Amino acid sequence: MEKLKVIIDGRECEAIKDQCVLDVARENGIPIPALCYNPEVKTSGGSCRVCLVEAHQGGWMRLVTSCNYPVRKGLEIKTNTDLVHKIRRGVLELLRARVPDSDVIKKLALEEGITEPRFKKDEGEDNRYKCIACALCAQVCEEVVGVSAISMQNRGADKQPGTPYHKPSNVCIGCGACVYVCPTNAISMKETGDIRRIWSRDFKMAKCSMCSKPYIPEAQIDWIVKTTGKARAFFDKCPDHR
Amino acid sequence: MEAITSMEQLQRYRDRLQARQKRDLAAVLVCCGTGCLAKGALKVADAFKAEFESKRIKANIDIGLKTTGCHGYCANGPLVVLRPKDILYHKVQPEDVPEIVERSLKGSEVIERLIYQDPDTKESIADFHQIPFYKYQVRIALRNIGIIDPTEIDDYILQGGYHTLAKALRMNPDAIIAEIEASGLRGRGGGGFPTATKWKSAKAIQSDVRYVICNGDEGDPGAFMDGATMQGDPHAIIEGMIIGAYAIGSNQGYIYVRDEYPLAVKNLAIAVKAVREKGFLGKDILGSGFAFDIKISRGGGAFVCGESSALMRSVEGKVGEPRAKYIRSVEKGLYDKPTVLNNVETWANVPIIIEKGGAWYASYGTKGSKGTKVFSLVGKVNNTGLVEVPMGISIRKLIEEIGGGVLSGKRFKAVQTGGPSGGCIPERLSDLPIDFDSLTDVGSMMGSGGIIVMDEETCMVDVAKYFIGFLVGESCGKCTPCRDGLRRMLDVLIDITEGRGKETDVAVLEELCDVLTWGALCGLGTSAANPVLSTIKYFREEYDAHIKDKQCPAGVCKALITYSIDAEACTGCTLCAKKCPQKCITGERKKAHVIDTEQCIKCGVCKDVCNFNAVRVA
Repeated sequence: MEKLKVIIDGRECEAIKDQCVLDVARENGIPIPALCYNPEVKTSGGSCRVCLVEAHQGGWMRLVTSCNYPVRKGLEIKTNTDLVHKIRRGVLELLRARVPDSDVIKKLALEEGITEPRFKKDEGEDNRYKCIACALCAQVCEEVVGVSAISMQNRGADKQPGTPYHKPSNVCIGCGACVYVCPTNAISMKETGDIRRIWSRDFKMAKCSMCSKPYIPEAQIDWIVKTTGKARAFFDKCPDHR
Repeated sequence: MEAITSMEQLQRYRDRLQARQKRDLAAVLVCCGTGCLAKGALKVADAFKAEFESKRIKANIDIGLKTTGCHGYCANGPLVVLRPKDILYHKVQPEDVPEIVERSLKGSEVIERLIYQDPDTKESIADFHQIPFYKYQVRIALRNIGIIDPTEIDDYILQGGYHTLAKALRMNPDAIIAEIEASGLRGRGGGGFPTATKWKSAKAIQSDVRYVICNGDEGDPGAFMDGATMQGDPHAIIEGMIIGAYAIGSNQGYIYVRDEYPLAVKNLAIAVKAVREKGFLGKDILGSGFAFDIKISRGGGAFVCGESSALMRSVEGKVGEPRAKYIRSVEKGLYDKPTVLNNVETWANVPIIIEKGGAWYASYGTKGSKGTKVFSLVGKVNNTGLVEVPMGISIRKLIEEIGGGVLSGKRFKAVQTGGPSGGCIPERLSDLPIDFDSLTDVGSMMGSGGIIVMDEETCMVDVAKYFIGFLVGESCGKCTPCRDGLRRMLDVLIDITEGRGKETDVAVLEELCDVLTWGALCGLGTSAANPVLSTIKYFREEYDAHIKDKQCPAGVCKALITYSIDAEACTGCTLCAKKCPQKCITGERKKAHVIDTEQCIKCGVCKDVCNFNAVRVA
């Protein structure tokens, strides 16, 4: 691992070659807003464009997404310039119109001084109107969970995650990783008794033998047992009672 | 088919082919490019076959008969060329064929009605090299198209094909790259990146596997350069790729061709199979020890897959979405291996540069843009078609001399270059030399080489709306600026063209343009603002007329225009009333007619059919 120095907002920061700018900035307490990036998901990032920063290198400057821009020798980053704010404001105004009810986006947009978008807001009932199509859910499902139950479908404004043909997926394990990573809380997961409903499919939940709280879908236990060889008895108790 | 395993054997094979063919054999070349096919070229070719049979002429022994790729002069198809005199017959119909065979092939007469006539001087020109459309062209990338039958590898070998490969395989790979560098060749797909630099970078990366890719996903509206090349001369591309692969040390190549080009897919497949059988693909090519093969990968029709990183994902069988190119594809491309991706035209130029030398190629063109460029010339121009000209030719020369000027003598207003993400260049800049840098300087771009000519009846706001609409439909949706920014732009443009434009609209458009240019993920998004920015820059007065005066000066935007009949000019011929689909034109014979504007749907049929220019649009 090659260590090097990168300048962010005038401060010299230690970094590892090819580490992303956003991680380095956060390690050094320099805030950059970001939605579609999750450090645990290697394929994530680069789609929402909220984390744009100025990259100065070798005599040129361009805006780059800090979540996937690799740190190389001689790089200087500026996170707080007029250009950065202007373009971020534009991006957030577009997102405000796309997902008008999202509190996360409302808050971020307000930080850039946007109360109402100038464009006609998208309106509708289904999850498309909460989703910024960042693909983090599909990425976590493929890369971390390893089942690829959902993927990004359609293109342009209609791009959204879903199961094939919007039918209940027989490979989904109901783990809810997609729900946990979603930056705009756009994926619905409901639990009624010992049944979890996600992506139009019902999952029976296993109960903890101590507190009898339903805490994990049986399909997820099957998957973990199958892929890791962990003993089934391990899932007898919920994390609180292990 | 015998495999050819050495350069000497290839030479002997070609000598045998030449011996079999009589020198200066008279030949009929029927253009079967897409334009001529649509106009019935296959029927013409069949008529020649039938006529040969009935006259007991042995095809390709007594007289040659070939179906070829696109001759370029699409406006006048179906085209037939008679060799060796290179007489070009226009708009040939099957009924003309017996006469051509009798008078021009058995005899040596030229049939006057089928040859080119200069619209101004009325001079007839038989030899196509002397026709203005061809006279100013320099055909390098298109050197074989229209001459060879693309489905016959022997035709290509007869033109010297694969001899350059044999030469290259005896060269040091670095010397090949040096020759490409000396030629100054820049990527013909639009980016204009120096080809040799790309090859060198990919070669410099330590890796056991490298790939070469041919990008044949041409998707710009009005562009058909690469399609014509893949259909008309697939071997030039394949030979270029083998040479490139040898130069950078790659053993596997892919040709990514859009499936909407069925003839290109077919001819490429025939060519790859023939090349494999001849032994120019496979192991130990021409006894050199070098191994290389090519797979054809068919694209499903997403415009964004012409973007290199999206294309590579598509080849891998994934959804064609671009990725950030902060780590370049020469470093990590297809399957994360170093990859050289070049466009069809770039590859087709490679063999001839190695054959004739980089300095020869660099003798054409301008300081920063060497060689020639193939353009598809379309829109409101007389000679629509495929042309190849030296870089640096002026827009005016291209349109007026090669293109034969604007249709129906209307005023030339602008050209749109570079595909949907290109820009519109006004008439007053038409002495601009066409090269990569000059087009970028005026806010457009070379793109892959589409040139759309616009006249005074083209509304520039409507043009911007059209291209943004195209891009809205083709945005992959991965990044916010492109997915959501473009459709908001389209909303604003629709408002402007439908009379709901606000004073602030131009500023909003400019802001959105900035968000795209600075903030989008891939080249499609970052260049998507060009149609709007360039029309605002050069035709601001049209935006203002739409927004402030609620008028469309070009008479295009339906919500802002009304049709009326000039009573002075109308002769009462009743033609417009007969043709009007709404039946809303009334009037007595030989008296001025009137349009009921309440009923009128502004389709423009009355204006098109009026022989007295009496229909007014305001």
